Amino acid sequence: MSDLLEQLSSDFLPRFLLGMVVNFEIALLALAIGLALGLLLALGRWHGRVAGGIAASAVALMRAAPTFVVMFFLLNAIPRDASLFGMPLALSGVAAVALSLVPYSAAYISDAGLDALRHWRAGSPLGALLFLPNITRAFFVLVMSSSAGAAIGVTEGITVILREADRLPSLDERLLLFAMGIALFGIPLQLGFVLIGMVQRLLGRRAAVTDEASA
Amino acid sequence: MHCRSVVLKVLALLTLLIGVSPLHAQRADSPDAALARLLQEARASLPAACSQANADRLIKILCVKRIRIGVREYYPLFGTRTGDKREGYEIDVGQAIGRMLGVEVEFIRVNAATRIPLLAEDRIDLVIATMGHNTQRDSQVRFIRPHYYRSETVVVGSRALPIANMTDLPGRTVCVTVGNGSNAELVAQGVRLMLFDEAGVLPDRLKDQTCTLTAQDDSFFAYYFTDPDFAAAYFPKFGFAQVPWGMAVARQGSEELARALDLISQIFHRDGLFMDIAKFNRIGTAFLEQQQRVWRRPECNTDAGSANPACILPPLDAALKPTPFASVVSAAESWLDANFDIELSLPMLKTAPAWSMFKDGVLNSLILIAGALMATLALALLFGAAMGARFAPLRWLARLVTVTLQSSPIVLTLVIAAAIVHAFFDYSDVVAMAASIAALGLANGSNAGQAVSEAIWSLRAERSPAVGVDLFGRALGRSSTQIVAFLINAAKGTPIASFIGAPELLSTLTDITSFSSGRATTYTLLLIFYTVVVMVVVWLCGKLRLYLEGRQARAEVAT
Repeated sequence: MSDLLEQLSSDFLPRFLLGMVVNFEIALLALAIGLALGLLLALGRWHGRVAGGIAASAVALMRAAPTFVVMFFLLNAIPRDASLFGMPLALSGVAAVALSLVPYSAAYISDAGLDALRHWRAGSPLGALLFLPNITRAFFVLVMSSSAGAAIGVTEGITVILREADRLPSLDERLLLFAMGIALFGIPLQLGFVLIGMVQRLLGRRAAVTDEASA
Repeated sequence: MHCRSVVLKVLALLTLLIGVSPLHAQRADSPDAALARLLQEARASLPAACSQANADRLIKILCVKRIRIGVREYYPLFGTRTGDKREGYEIDVGQAIGRMLGVEVEFIRVNAATRIPLLAEDRIDLVIATMGHNTQRDSQVRFIRPHYYRSETVVVGSRALPIANMTDLPGRTVCVTVGNGSNAELVAQGVRLMLFDEAGVLPDRLKDQTCTLTAQDDSFFAYYFTDPDFAAAYFPKFGFAQVPWGMAVARQGSEELARALDLISQIFHRDGLFMDIAKFNRIGTAFLEQQQRVWRRPECNTDAGSANPACILPPLDAALKPTPFASVVSAAESWLDANFDIELSLPMLKTAPAWSMFKDGVLNSLILIAGALMATLALALLFGAAMGARFAPLRWLARLVTVTLQSSPIVLTLVIAAAIVHAFFDYSDVVAMAASIAALGLANGSNAGQAVSEAIWSLRAERSPAVGVDLFGRALGRSSTQIVAFLINAAKGTPIASFIGAPELLSTLTDITSFSSGRATTYTLLLIFYTVVVMVVVWLCGKLRLYLEGRQARAEVAT
């Protein structure tokens, strides 16, 4: 392990942390757009009829669209000189990765939003509040999925690890570096899941107290 | 600046000396004597020939005492322009030709798209503009033989990278520009490509580490290697896909001009003028040194040398064999464009290599999806059984592996799987596919297995009478939604296998578009293909879920 630390570039950790910031940026952007689109779709499905059918079909399509293919589609199918209302449409790498994650986040938020609306109507506001830990879960999934940016040269956390691994001479050292990467990604992820669990337990206890009081 | 002026004067003097050299002009069949005769006859026909509409371009040039040469304006070391000042190897070659013909030179800006149309429209007489000589262009212009330069594609990377030849590249990613003819050769070697529209961005992508390796013409990188910092950090690892560069004239009405230029080119090679100009402009001279040896050979140093196959180089054969239905596809594309204004381009259906790659890509994608689904299901059962076991060490071990896999982004899991598999096996498509299936199966199977184990523990908490296989079967029914979700996730994740070189459809179509047109159509079709396949998987998984839930319901009724 100490051999590995000696062989790593002196600026590896700062570069990796900056890369992880990019992962979080991508996830936040995808979540923000997904929230706007997903909640609209959830409302459409909630109201049913034609709007519900259209929204449900859109969600089914978005669920089926593979993120990695959507990313390459966005990068290659949109002409470099394309514009919309005079605004250039050419996407940066970060924007392409974030947008490629939108179908997943919008479909997920639409499902979670619809569940929340159903709980609300059934008189369970705490059940509806489960929407919040679900969004947090989606955020962490998006952080992990944003590593797809490595395939198009976006300098996110995994890209930094892979570039560093290229410099290491042996498989053992590369595997050790990968293990470090898993730990560095895993710690915030597992902390996030612990946080989600705590929120869910808190909501569960409050629900139990409310039920007892009303009984 | 003063130094350049002095050297240019020396080169001009050399050209003049070559032009009047008595040594080579002595033999009647020497290229010098043939050139002298040709120019003498042309000049003798002046001024009467000047008014003839069908006069050869050589006559027209001698009449106006000016030759119009199409050159590049931003191709460092070969043709650049700063204000009114032009510099570069091709500029100096153009000046030397003007001196040999005894006329002024007018340079006209051309680029890759305009150099051939400008010749055809008689807006330039000659093009010297980094143009590779290939069989396709042979039908459009008359190339001057011998060729005045030769480029090759060089793979450039950090000095520390252990890359020596093509066999070191399989499995690695190389940054290239779309449409580069050498991309097909890299693809055939199992190299992953990262595509860029402009070559100009490649050095910056090397510096910011977006690319660890790039492949581009050596003539392009020649300029960057004159920068000491760039040369200290990067190194041309090896070259391949040599392409001879040719000066060219129009196919119609330029027979005598082409003949004169053939002879001049022979003389410039033989007497080392091309080489002197190349050295002056700091570009590579290996090809020119080899050509000088060729054109000094007695059988080549004749007025028929430029037609002697033993002396000249063949053009690059760039034509790809068309598919039997290529004409039908082209007709369909034209019909759609003409009738519905839809610009559809289907390169994967028009050439035999692309069609073959496309078929393989579709098949490999389906194999990969089926493999990922089976691996996910099998590992879900295994992880579920392990994490649901009463034997604590087994449960903890399975839990540790699951948490580790959950904490690893799928790209990293794939890279780790590929690194381990490649440590035991040589790189191949099958190995890349197997590593991808293992990684996708582990990532999704561990999560699904966790759901199965949670169902097992919940059944135990409810004091279910079921034990052993019966308990496991009921747990599968209870966790069917989660199992199906991770099966769908595995199918959706298969395109990411292209990251480690698995030859599925995304990887294949990226390769095809790297040497052909139609990126927008290609990637749209790719998105449709995967979306439809995943929807089929969703439908099949729905059937599986109904089966598992029905099984659980029947079991509960029975108890």
